[in-house]
Amino acid sequence: MFRQLKQASVIISSAFQRMLSYQFSVITYRIGEVAEVLVLILMWSAIYSSGNGAVKGFTLNEMITYVLVGNLCAVAVRSFLPSVVARDIEEGKLSMFLVKPIPYIKYIFLNELGRIFLSTVLSVISQLCVILFFLDRIFINTDWRYICLIFLMLILAFIIELLIGFLIGAIAFWTEEVNGLQTTLERIKRFFSGGYFPLSLLPIYLITASKYLPFQYSFFAPAQLYLKKVDLGQGLEGILIQVVWVILLSLIVRVVWHMGLRKYEAVGS
Amino acid sequence: MDIIRVKNLVKSYEIYRKEPGLWGSVKSFFYRKKDFAEAVKDISFTIKEGEVVGFLGPNGAGKTTTLKILSGILYPTSGSVEVLGFTPYDRKKEFKKQFGIVMGQKDQLVRMLPAMDNFLLFKEFYEAPEGEFDKTLEELIELLDVKEFLNIPVRKLSLGQRMRCELIAALLHNPKVLLLDEPTIGLDVVAQKNIRDFIRKYNQKKKTTILLTSHYMDDIKELCERVIIINFGKIIYDGKLADLISRYATEKIIKITATDTISKESLGKFGRVEDYQGIRALIRVPRDRVKSVAAEIISSNLPVDDIFIEDMPISDIVRAIFEGR
Repeated sequence: MFRQLKQASVIISSAFQRMLSYQFSVITYRIGEVAEVLVLILMWSAIYSSGNGAVKGFTLNEMITYVLVGNLCAVAVRSFLPSVVARDIEEGKLSMFLVKPIPYIKYIFLNELGRIFLSTVLSVISQLCVILFFLDRIFINTDWRYICLIFLMLILAFIIELLIGFLIGAIAFWTEEVNGLQTTLERIKRFFSGGYFPLSLLPIYLITASKYLPFQYSFFAPAQLYLKKVDLGQGLEGILIQVVWVILLSLIVRVVWHMGLRKYEAVGS
Repeated sequence: MDIIRVKNLVKSYEIYRKEPGLWGSVKSFFYRKKDFAEAVKDISFTIKEGEVVGFLGPNGAGKTTTLKILSGILYPTSGSVEVLGFTPYDRKKEFKKQFGIVMGQKDQLVRMLPAMDNFLLFKEFYEAPEGEFDKTLEELIELLDVKEFLNIPVRKLSLGQRMRCELIAALLHNPKVLLLDEPTIGLDVVAQKNIRDFIRKYNQKKKTTILLTSHYMDDIKELCERVIIINFGKIIYDGKLADLISRYATEKIIKITATDTISKESLGKFGRVEDYQGIRALIRVPRDRVKSVAAEIISSNLPVDDIFIEDMPISDIVRAIFEGR
């Protein structure tokens, strides 16, 4: 147990140290993130000012809260795993992990934790700053039961993010070019997470579909919980759906990994 | 005891062919013709504990593919492979803890981190016992003389320095089998010699079984008693290096340095003249005649200053084998 923890901490901290050498990118990326949130708020303000008092049950202040809280959740669970996995496969770096006694999946998950740590912390801080700026406009929820549920949901969402990220990256086993597919999948993910607009604006069948997909639990669902637009019971139901997804995706990852290795040709040298 | 056992190993890759030109590219966008290329065709060999075996062959002969199968990176298409009693592609943890691999063209070390941080990371990968690890590390640092650049990020090191660190990383867990794929590639003569000397010392000390590929004949000559030569995916020689030389090295080389220019014609009567430079030349002479020819040259009235007799370079021997001479 101690051994395992030490192993994990060494892997995480060396990935973290590596990222420190990219401090400029790490910081500049955050500027774009904050700008995007501000643009969304600006857009919704414009829509509301053209006369609508409420869009599908959202007041302007609720919409601003939705954008801010949703984005805070989204940056907290985000990872960049697909490109890392795809690169390891394409460049044949995977070979060097296949000969090590540590399972690649375990290593790459721990490594990702260390890799994103700094950017996640900075993202969360910058998003919190934006929230502070809009403090008088947003809806405040201090009910600890809701907050705990949101936390749990985000932890599960992060695990799902890693599993899906691994699967997207693993496409590189079958095709040499992953980028196109990866970008498209990212957009679909974002759409079904509610990142473009609240999912409640969609037709009912898409709302139902998105409920059973894993994506909305990193943005829409926690934001709705925060806004108390859904109750604790519905939140728990969401957690259950997430748990099912974690189990399902773990199995898929296992199968895809073994199929992929059969395909793997260890290019280079 | 046989540490490595390879029987009827075959590995084929899927490849795509594309007709040349724009139309060919458009066609291959929609449909790709699949084909199979056999990198390794039915090879068998065994390696005993403590042996250092050189794996020789031109580019694309199947050397690296074989090493990748032995280390479990690739699945064989057919045939059986056994290393240390394990089937490599099962990728058992206990197996991986007992062998090390260095690929000259692929770094295992994280480039952004200093070597020392890398070693600590490797320690965790291998779950190496604390005391033993420290002792091994100290020993290797000493042997390879890397102390002064342990704390510099790997990407800032020279190729030779990096290769020494790569070797340490592959040996930290005291492997029983070491696979080296072109460990000296791209290195200058001095760096090559350092690596070579280390490998020899290490093998003598630890009795590690080593399988090594190299393009540099000096590596093979100095390290390996036994060589396996492979071409087009097939083994064409497996045996002692010394036997290879006596069997195929039909000529010796007489190296002449003169005090004054000697004409090519006057040298030509002794044997085949090569690398003629006026006051320096090489003459190839059949093995059994070399002594008498050397005596003739010395007793002749040519202004010969110095005369050396050398073996044919192994690269020539190997080339002769490849060309089927």
